[in-house]
Amino acid sequence: MNIFERLQMLDRRWIFLVVAIAIIVPLIIPFNSKTYTTEPTEKLYRLIDSYAPAPDEKAIEKDRALLLVFTHDASTMSELFPMEVAILRHCFARNIKVFTLTFLPSAAPIMDYAINTVKEEFPEVKSGEHYVNFGYKIGALMLPIILGMGEDISEAVDIDAEGRKISSLPIMKNIKNYNEMNLIMDFSGSSAGGAWIVYARSKFGANVGAGVTAVMAADEYPYLQTGQLTGMLAGLKGAAEYEKLVDVFATNPDPAKREFSRELLKDTKYDDAITNPNIKTKFKQARIGMNAQSVAHIMIIVFILIGNIGYFITKYKQKQQG
Amino acid sequence: MKRSIPLAIVIILGFLFVGYVFIPHKISSDFYEWYMEWIKAMSPFGVILGIMSIIMTHTARIQHKVPNWQYSIVTLIAMIFTAYAGFAWGTQEGTPFMWLFKNVQMPMGATMFSLLAFYIASASYKAFRARSAEATVLLLAAIIVMLGQVPVGVSLFGEGINDITHWILNVPNLASKRGIALGVGLGMVATSLRILLGIERTYLGGGE
Repeated sequence: MNIFERLQMLDRRWIFLVVAIAIIVPLIIPFNSKTYTTEPTEKLYRLIDSYAPAPDEKAIEKDRALLLVFTHDASTMSELFPMEVAILRHCFARNIKVFTLTFLPSAAPIMDYAINTVKEEFPEVKSGEHYVNFGYKIGALMLPIILGMGEDISEAVDIDAEGRKISSLPIMKNIKNYNEMNLIMDFSGSSAGGAWIVYARSKFGANVGAGVTAVMAADEYPYLQTGQLTGMLAGLKGAAEYEKLVDVFATNPDPAKREFSRELLKDTKYDDAITNPNIKTKFKQARIGMNAQSVAHIMIIVFILIGNIGYFITKYKQKQQG
Repeated sequence: MKRSIPLAIVIILGFLFVGYVFIPHKISSDFYEWYMEWIKAMSPFGVILGIMSIIMTHTARIQHKVPNWQYSIVTLIAMIFTAYAGFAWGTQEGTPFMWLFKNVQMPMGATMFSLLAFYIASASYKAFRARSAEATVLLLAAIIVMLGQVPVGVSLFGEGINDITHWILNVPNLASKRGIALGVGLGMVATSLRILLGIERTYLGGGE
């Protein structure tokens, strides 16, 4: 048996070992890699950023808000959680009103965890004033709530996760329905945004964005092309792109540089995020993970090539012998 | 009776909802509001049914000692303990419920999902062969998209790899996805009509 025949018969446990090493090593030995932002991510970022109050405007008076819908459980957190953290960080840094909601009981702790993870860095941010967690609502109420929010959010949701009347919260000043809460961002491990596109977008004209796992991203492209999805964060790559945009613009120490600019994005000084101690690890999880993903993708390609070389050589030898 | 009453409920309510969607009138919107109140009242019973179903299924598995019945004990204990932790101390940060979520559910969920990477790597090595022209196209497209999805791909082949990746996702992928979506949509309309007209009855069970 020659080497190629042996490679064809390779025990899968060796492959598992190589995969484990290829993923673990880049996670424990950090290195910088450039994050290239794509249009679907940039469009979402720019829309969300447009909800920030002007420098001379009180945040509470702003008549724009976004809703983050958590439609996933712990299994897909590695890809979706960094997106949620990055968007919440963007909102808190720029005083953008944000609401959170889930129809999955297993996603309720994820919402709390995401909010608390970001809130630690923004002590001035207050529940009811800068953000509201609507909490978990029973799945059967999904349609009534989606449609009801088109008329009046306070009536459709009624109370938040802390049991407070939505209508009595300061954040609701100038926020009534989808005219104001104009973007719904659905994070999901399956097809995201479906019900929101069908009801909130078609009937009330709300913008809908999606945060999906990489394996589901291809399914969302038809909606992206038609404009039914305003933007999309696709897997860990989308999360890494959003993390970078927040670092470069939303949390830029220079207030003059907080507006989106393609020129600033090209500046190479923002490419050292992974080794930069000023950026907390929790705000660069996706970019650290992208290093592991880079190595894993290259390794899978090498596996495919080796497998095919072995296959063709074996086939050629069999032909010669037969 | 066991089949005709549920069938009648489905057909009558189905047509009422078709009426609500297509006939914008006060009567239809009043009906919808009335229905929404009922939904709110009925939903908690769904949760109770779910809990009862889990308890009955797993106690039966334990009683009959079916293969791997021990896992049913773990399921029931985990359910009772997690529910107790949530009711007794709340679900906020710093509570036992949140501790369980962060230290049990999160790592277990991530472990299950991460198995995908191992199986994809193994399958790509063992089964992803350029046996035909179609398989070769699929293989090349997969390699390009994989490279386009990671920074190292752009570093190695330049930003052109991103453009090719976007073309693959936006043209051939989109065409096939849209075709599938249209097929699924038409199938859903046909199935809905069959249910509304009482032709499709398999959802009632009973083997017919």
